[in-house]
Amino acid sequence: MSFNLFAAEEEALAKARALETRLGALAPDCLPEFRDLIAAFELSTREQQRLVRVSDRLQGQLNDAIHELDRQRSEAEAALDHLREAQEAMVQSEKLASLGALVAGVAHEINTPVGIAVSCASHLADATQAMRRRADGGTLGKAEFARYLATAVDTTDLILGNCERASQLIAGFKQVAVDRASAVRRTVNLAAYIQDTLVSLQPKFRPSGHAVAVYCPADLELDSYPGVLSQILSNLVMNALTHAFVDGQPGGMAITVDCPDADTVRMCFADNGRGMSEEHSARVFEPFFTTRRGRGGSGLGLHIVHNLVAGVLMGSITVCSAPDLGTSFTLQFPRRTPDRDLPVEALTM
Amino acid sequence: MKVRAENHAMDCLTIPATGRTPGVSFDFANGHLRMTGESYPDDVAAFFGPVFEALRGFLDDPDGGPIRFDMELLYFNSSSAKALMNIFQMLETVAKGGRPVTLTWCVEENDESMRELGEDFAEDLRHVVFQMREMPAGGPP
Ligand SMILES: Nc1ncnc2c1ncn2[C@@H]1O[C@H](COP(=O)(O)OP(=O)(O)O)[C@@H](O)[C@H]1O
Ligand SMILES: [Mg+2]
Repeated sequence: MSFNLFAAEEEALAKARALETRLGALAPDCLPEFRDLIAAFELSTREQQRLVRVSDRLQGQLNDAIHELDRQRSEAEAALDHLREAQEAMVQSEKLASLGALVAGVAHEINTPVGIAVSCASHLADATQAMRRRADGGTLGKAEFARYLATAVDTTDLILGNCERASQLIAGFKQVAVDRASAVRRTVNLAAYIQDTLVSLQPKFRPSGHAVAVYCPADLELDSYPGVLSQILSNLVMNALTHAFVDGQPGGMAITVDCPDADTVRMCFADNGRGMSEEHSARVFEPFFTTRRGRGGSGLGLHIVHNLVAGVLMGSITVCSAPDLGTSFTLQFPRRTPDRDLPVEALTM
Repeated sequence: MKVRAENHAMDCLTIPATGRTPGVSFDFANGHLRMTGESYPDDVAAFFGPVFEALRGFLDDPDGGPIRFDMELLYFNSSSAKALMNIFQMLETVAKGGRPVTLTWCVEENDESMRELGEDFAEDLRHVVFQMREMPAGGPP
C-alpha cells in the first residue's frame, strides 16, 4: 500500500459519487448542480496538488541558492586566507630586510676601526722588521731606537683604541641582533640601547650630513623587549632618511625621552624634513600605504611599527606632521611591560 | 479596424515589470495577452486585483475575437501560481463558449521543472489550445 498525500480528498470524492447515485434516484433535478459541485471539488483538489508541487519546487530552488551561496562564501574565505598568508609573507620579508640593513650597517661601521688597526699593525710590523735588520747588522743607533719606541707606543695605542671600539660595536650589535631575532625580554638601559641602535645606522645618515640628537635620562631602565624597540627606532630613522629629507640637504633628527609618570615612558622621534599632508599622515599606519610604490616602498614599515608598539610594548603611537614642518612620532608605553601570554614571536623577528 | 463593444473600457493594460512583480501587457484590441518577468508580489491582491478586473471586462465581451495568451514568467511564487490557475480557468470558460484561445507556456531551454509545471497546469484545459515554447536561456523577458 502506497502513501497518498491526498487520501482524504479522494475518499470525500468517492463518497460524493456514491451520493450522486442516490441523488439521481431521489432528486434527479438536483443532479446537474451536484455534478458541478463535484467537478469544482475535483478541480480544487488538482489545484491543491499543483500548488504543493510549485511550492516544493520553490523550496528546492531556495535550497540550491543557499548551497551556491555557501560555496561562494567558502571560496571567498579561502581567497581571504590566501591574501592573509601573502600579507604575512610580505611582513616577514620586510622584517628580514630591516635585519639585513642592520647587519650591513654594523659591518660598515666595524670596517673603520678594524681597517685602522690593520694598517697600524702592518706599519708597526714594517718598522720592527727594519729595526731587527739594523740590530742584526750592528748599525742600530740610540736616537733611531728612541724614534722607533715612540712610533711603537703611538701605533699600539691606536691599535688598542680601535680594537676596543670594534669590540664595543660588536658587543652592542650582538645584543641588538640577539634581541631582534629572539624577542627576549630583559632589563635594559634605554639611553645606552638607543646609542647601540644608532651606531648600526650611522653609515646610512652620516655621509649625507644628517644628525641624530638624543635626549634621554641616563638612568632610565626598562623591563621590556629592547629588540622590538630597536626595530621601531631603525624603521623611524630609515623613514626619515627616505621620505623626510630632500636629497642633498642635511637634516636633523631628535629622540627625546621622558617619563610622564614613574611607570610610563614617552619617546618622541622628530625630524625637520618635508613633513606630510594631513591626508597622508592619517594613513601612514595603514598596511601597504606608501608614497614610494615601485621605488622601494612597501608601505609596511609603519604598519609593523604600530603593531609592535601596540602588540608587544602594549603602548600607543601617534604621528604629528605638516608640510615643510617636519614629522614627529610619539610613542607611549609602560616602563615595565605587563605580563601576558601573547605570542611575542608572532610579532617580531 | 474592428469595431469593439462599448463595455471595453480600455484598449490595453500595460504594467511594467519591477523586481517582484511581472510585466503585464494585455493588448485587448488584438487579443494578445502577455506576462513576463518574475512574480512574487508583496501584496497579491493589490497587484492581481486590477489585472483580473481588466481581464474580466475583456472576456465578458460576447463578440470578442480569438485570444493569444503568452505565459513568459521565469519565476513565480505559490500565490502567483494560484492566480495563474484562476486566469487559465477564466480562459477555459470562454474557450468552452466557442471563443478560440491559445495559451503558450514559455520555458527557458533546460528548465525541465518549469516545463513539467506547464504540463501540470495544462491538465485542466480541454478547450484552450495549449502549447509549449522554448526561449533561449538568459534572454530578455
Ligand atoms: N619621516 C617621514 N616624513 C615624511 N613622510 C613619511 C615619514 N615617514 C613615513 N612617511 C610617509 O609614510 C609612508 C608610509 O611609510 P612606511 O609604512 O614606512 O612605508 P614605506 O617606507 O615602505 O613607504 C611613506 O611612504 C611616506 O609617504
Ligand atoms: Mg618605511
